[in-house]
Amino acid sequence: MRTSPARWARLLIRLASALVPRARREEWMDEWRGELAALHAERRKGSRGLPTPLGFAVGALPHAIWMRMDGWAIDGLVQDIRYSTRLLRKAPGFTVVAASTLALGIGANGAIFSLVNGLVLRTPQEIAEPGRLVQIARSYETDPRWDNLSFPAFRMIREEARTLSGVAGYSPDPFVIGEGANTEQVAGQYVTGTYFDVLGVRPHEGRLIQPADDVEPGAHPVAVLSHALWTRRYGGDPGVIGEVISVGAQPYRVLGVAPPGFVGVERLGSRPEIFIPLMQHPGYRGETLFEHWGASWIYLFGRLADGVSPEEAEASMELVSARLREAAPVNEGIEILLASGVGLDPRDREAARDLSAILSLIVLVVLLLTCVNVANLFLARASGRREELGVRMAMGAGQGRLTRQLLTESLLVASLATLLAVPVILVVDDVLPALFPFPLSVSVRADLRVFAFLATVGLVAGILPGIAPAWVSARSDLCEALREGAATGTPARTRLRDGLVMVQLALSLGLVAGATLLGRSVMNAQSADPGFDADGVVAAVIDLSSTGRYDRVQGTRLFRAVLDRARETPGVRSATLANQMPLLGGHSRASASPVDREEVSFEAEYVVVAGDYFETLEIPVVRGRALLGAGQEPERVVVVNEALAAMFWPAQEPLGQRIAAQGETWRVVGVAGDVQMRSLRSRPNPAIYYPLGHAYSGSMILHLATEAGTGIGAAEARRIVASVDPQLPVATVVDLDSAAAASMRETRTIGFLVAAFALLALVLAVVGLYGLVSYSAAQRVREIGIRIALGAEPASLVRLILRRGLGIALAGIALGLLVASGLGSALGGLLFGVTERDPVAMGTAAMVLLAAAGLAAWIPARRASSVDAAVSLRD
Amino acid sequence: MPRPLGITSLRILGAIRDGIAFGLEIVRETGMPSGTVYPTLGRLKRRGYVEAHWEDQDIADGESRPRRRYYELTSEGREALAAGAARVASLAAELSRGAVGAEEST
Repeated sequence: MRTSPARWARLLIRLASALVPRARREEWMDEWRGELAALHAERRKGSRGLPTPLGFAVGALPHAIWMRMDGWAIDGLVQDIRYSTRLLRKAPGFTVVAASTLALGIGANGAIFSLVNGLVLRTPQEIAEPGRLVQIARSYETDPRWDNLSFPAFRMIREEARTLSGVAGYSPDPFVIGEGANTEQVAGQYVTGTYFDVLGVRPHEGRLIQPADDVEPGAHPVAVLSHALWTRRYGGDPGVIGEVISVGAQPYRVLGVAPPGFVGVERLGSRPEIFIPLMQHPGYRGETLFEHWGASWIYLFGRLADGVSPEEAEASMELVSARLREAAPVNEGIEILLASGVGLDPRDREAARDLSAILSLIVLVVLLLTCVNVANLFLARASGRREELGVRMAMGAGQGRLTRQLLTESLLVASLATLLAVPVILVVDDVLPALFPFPLSVSVRADLRVFAFLATVGLVAGILPGIAPAWVSARSDLCEALREGAATGTPARTRLRDGLVMVQLALSLGLVAGATLLGRSVMNAQSADPGFDADGVVAAVIDLSSTGRYDRVQGTRLFRAVLDRARETPGVRSATLANQMPLLGGHSRASASPVDREEVSFEAEYVVVAGDYFETLEIPVVRGRALLGAGQEPERVVVVNEALAAMFWPAQEPLGQRIAAQGETWRVVGVAGDVQMRSLRSRPNPAIYYPLGHAYSGSMILHLATEAGTGIGAAEARRIVASVDPQLPVATVVDLDSAAAASMRETRTIGFLVAAFALLALVLAVVGLYGLVSYSAAQRVREIGIRIALGAEPASLVRLILRRGLGIALAGIALGLLVASGLGSALGGLLFGVTERDPVAMGTAAMVLLAAAGLAAWIPARRASSVDAAVSLRD
Repeated sequence: MPRPLGITSLRILGAIRDGIAFGLEIVRETGMPSGTVYPTLGRLKRRGYVEAHWEDQDIADGESRPRRRYYELTSEGREALAAGAARVASLAAELSRGAVGAEEST
């Protein structure tokens, strides 16, 4: 339409006019209307060298901004800023203390926001239209969950899902790259040929894995490198493309490099550095995985077809689920679920949201505290400036003008504080991931959004502390202010300062109580019984699956040899191999059911063990016997834990019962105590222990229980493995004690943060109370002098002054207990063995506050009571 | 005299030198974007180098269009333009180091 640009131009001018000061707006609009009409007239005449109406109207915006600034200049805003700057420069101590206090609050908020930003808000730049991606997962009507899928399921979903334009999957795995001394273990992924296409990722160099690279098992030894690996290990040399590198001791040709910043679709977990076609997966338990409905190992996602809404796609999964249920008996009751977007699965989203909410709450409290503290500083200063303000009012400065002057000051201090907070934000990417309880695959580097947030927080932090003195000055009486020697503050100011200190005490009590709750949780967890005793146990991961040199038979033989060697090592009390480590990685589950009752099928912990597992980890065998050695079990027998026994045979003798699992039948020979396999905070899962020889896992963990003081550790574990196969990579060596500690890392991290903030809050509150009491004591110096002259006892004077300080402290503590119980509920999920309103934590916090407050009030009271009557009366 | 005028201000003053002009004419004459011309005009007005006045409503009505706002140089504006032009000319001469054709200043 021809009229359309003109209409846009008029709209733009009308919008820009909002910036123009009201008194000049009408005139301004008239001028632009006239100019625009002239432009149209000229263009109609066909004159040359004219701008387009829209391009011309864009100029109205800078003009309007200029008008606004000009308006401010006339109103004296510039003058205000100059005056405030001069004042603040004249009081450098005040400025530095106020600005650095606010910087703490602003920086803490910015840091936590950049975490939330990286984890939840930021959409990956390398992925095309991430909003059209959906996560695909498996659940059951009877057992809702969010789980990965088998390869046949992937194939069927890809073919049946008409509402998705593409379906792709991946399976995270560690890879050993390089040879000899140059060996390095990196995180990586097996990916389907559709992976990069569905994500819409473009190569940085060379090309990426395509469907033709993922057709036949074992026929595609090609790899894509992450940008990080390419620059770190290969110096960013494009010549490496087309070269052959060693991956898991096998030759792989490098196809290309993924774009910088591409870390797959997950935001938690380790950053994948190498991508290998899914068809190269060697399989585990000695079986190929590609026809196996029961082995779920692929995480799936898809892209919505054009014009399809997430709800339509979700609904279409009904049909896909039905087809899957028909396809294999193991899919009984299966449901395919979708969730919009990628990055965090729905459970992790919930966890991330909770964690973000707790952290945001804490830093918000800290921000409030710092604002209150700075408001108090301003108030105290305003007391000293009453004469100045009085004079300015007498000279004709309006109340509005004075208020703006005071606000300008606090905004200037906040701007300075925001600048001070910027370096804090810049190091967040290096510091925060180390403090965060989960590994982060995404970067939490500050971006434009973080800085915009920082500016907003800075603005709030500038307005909040400025309101208090402005409010008080609006209530002060001109004459009273000018009257010489009017020593006591106005009632409004005194009440406000009392109130602010009370709020400070309350907030810090809340934080101290929160820190105590979390501290007690960590202590409880350390003394909790996880069902095993890991004292002095060293563990080393032996991963055969990535080498490709071992099949099931050879692998079993190797594991036996390692176990024998370990048992012969002096100082080793007992040794065992298992595919899972309590509280640490290697978790795997597999379906099992009592024979003849397949309807109670359950995915129990799948633990393959060899050697003295129960003895090494000091897990009690409560009934029957333990499993024998490595492969010494003549029959298919298993040990189950108490949770599984109670689930399968609630009222029967579990010994001698038969279990159907892995397509075989197994006889129960023993029942072991429950072990916390995944986390100290969760309930123990039902578990089945299978003997190596009848069951197999290509990745086993060697556990060594050592005699105290033998010094056997990581090096010895590596030596034992190397003595059997020198080329075998021993990935990670850990001791289980630290694993138990790591399980409570989340609670510990947040506890640490809360404790740090609580300490900060306590110091701020105590300083505030101290200032308040000293100030009021100083104002009563004359009164105190008279009392002393009349023979008052120093002790009674101390009581007199102390009374007011303690009154405020007690009110603050009462208020604080409410804050603390609110914070306790918010922390609920992180607590272990304490209730949200744990009386010990609340009592401790109240006592700490009372003691600190008492000290803060006593020092100035004591000093005031020792004034010399003659001196105080003379002044 | 306060701060000397920049090239942008001088070009705008130059564009209205020979009488009076409204914004669009200045935009066309100088080829500068409207977002530069109008704020600069505001600044020049604040410094007293130009005056603005509205044209007669009757004239606008006669041509059935909104009225225009015209800008005119003040005597201070003329002086400032002359001084600025001289400065630019000497700068040009200095830059071309005695090359022929130093511009004449008004």
